[in-house]
Amino acid sequence: MRILAFDTATRSTAVALLDTDGAPALELRDDPPPGSRPRHTALLMALTVRALDEHGIDWDGIGRIGVGIGPGTFTGLRIGVAAARALSAARGIPLTGVSTLRSLASAAERAAGGSSVLAVIDARRGEAFAAGWTAVGAGSGAAPSLAACALPPGELAGRLAGLGGDWLAVGDGAVAFRETLERAGARVPADDDPLHLVSAGEHCRLAARATPGRIEEVLPDYLRAPDARPAAAAATAG
Amino acid sequence: MILAIETSCDDTCAAVVTATGEIRSNVISSQGIHDRYGGVVPEIASRHHLELVGAAVNDALARAGVGLDEIQLVAVTQGPGLVAALLVGLSTAKAVAAARRLPLAPVDHLHGHVAASFLADPGLEPPFLALIASGGHTFLARVDDRGPGYAVLGQTLDDAAGEAFDKGARLLGLGYPGGPALERLARDGDREAFEFPTAARMRGLDFSFAGLKTALLYRVREMDSGELQRRRADLAASYQRAIVEALSIRVERALEQTGLERLAIGGGVAANGPLRERLTGLGARISVPPIQLCTDNAAMIAGAARDVVPLPFPEYLDLDVYATGERALAVAG
Ligand SMILES: [Zn+2]
Repeated sequence: MRILAFDTATRSTAVALLDTDGAPALELRDDPPPGSRPRHTALLMALTVRALDEHGIDWDGIGRIGVGIGPGTFTGLRIGVAAARALSAARGIPLTGVSTLRSLASAAERAAGGSSVLAVIDARRGEAFAAGWTAVGAGSGAAPSLAACALPPGELAGRLAGLGGDWLAVGDGAVAFRETLERAGARVPADDDPLHLVSAGEHCRLAARATPGRIEEVLPDYLRAPDARPAAAAATAG
Repeated sequence: MILAIETSCDDTCAAVVTATGEIRSNVISSQGIHDRYGGVVPEIASRHHLELVGAAVNDALARAGVGLDEIQLVAVTQGPGLVAALLVGLSTAKAVAAARRLPLAPVDHLHGHVAASFLADPGLEPPFLALIASGGHTFLARVDDRGPGYAVLGQTLDDAAGEAFDKGARLLGLGYPGGPALERLARDGDREAFEFPTAARMRGLDFSFAGLKTALLYRVREMDSGELQRRRADLAASYQRAIVEALSIRVERALEQTGLERLAIGGGVAANGPLRERLTGLGARISVPPIQLCTDNAAMIAGAARDVVPLPFPEYLDLDVYATGERALAVAG
């Protein structure tokens, strides 16, 4: 079965096609440097269509879609999930949501050398989205030992200390809050290490093992309540 | 057959319209959850759009009695509006179009409001004067052809007319959206009881509603709660009259200045009864779309798409939305 997966939870736009028969995943991605704007709107569908073209297939060649449901930037998540839901509905392709944190951790597990893995996404406003797995947990579908949460980095460090053990921290949040996490004893790979980037290929592998449900159930995992300030009326349409 | 999606504010809309302008379905999913915030909360609206847009599209197709196979063009609102909300519609539209390798027509929301008149009144021929008044925009335009470009003759310098309704309603303790509630309350009131400003001395065709809102605020502050309770309907009626007059005075001026003999109105405020009545009395032939084509809807976006050059697959894949800048409109002169 061929799986299409993409993720727009972080600055990156990542799209991958994986043939479960064994060929390595084809991954197309855009990774803007820290501080620059994500290009999800401009690139998500463009990269997706390019991936199909490079494989020489049409939508009928896709057996399943996996979409990153975050947590991450709200707008980015909606761009990805809206596209995934619409593609799934328009082509009748089964859809499954993939936790972006689990995918980060699962990819890192192979490089972790037995340590526990903490996936951290920069949640802005001085907070981190994080989840942690001990042993080989993330890839196997096990429940996280540190459930997905939104926390200030100091509190996250405290939780790690409470759990004990060796931690490998990955993700753009691990880079952003490196000092705090390292002080808590976590190991953070170099800033430019690919382990910090969300891999859509890893999404494909996780989606392959998931059981697709109903399209309507695939929604972002925002992990945060919406900011409930009304828009300046001039900015609204109506 | 055109499938259109509109998510620029707080209504999740999808519609199916034929190439000749026959409305086959026009689904409007009102979120109705912004009342307690006294306005549209972008993040809440956007979350709801994502939850509702798929069902709205399915519903629009089902009510039209067509499948995606029969759709030849996908149309979507590109702007202006709330960016996060627009992106849900655009992302959905791009994916639906790409999944079927269909062309896509990006539509300006304001062009949509004008196009609603063509859908409602197939006999409507340019040139005519258009008054579009809603919670987001208030402008007068000269429509010389079917668009998408129109010459703006006047626009609001501060609040939109619908915003004036909402703010007035709030001061009178009514819910959001305030327009219909204020109109209901005004029915029992005396519209001559209070004199509110209409900025009539302001020359030209631009609108201003900020002073009106302030005038109501002062009136309300002067009253104790008992008097306010007794006079609420009078305040509402007088306040509504000022908005209606402010709009009508400029429509009248514009008709005179341009010599145009036809008037088309649109936007949520065009649903207001007293405004419709007052404008009907101006002598121009007036085209008043039914309410579901005045408030935000996707049929008007499909209607406008008929006059937009569509982008063939895959040229629209990198398309982005825009928050402001009425691209359909060029200031006249
Ligand atoms: Zn509107």
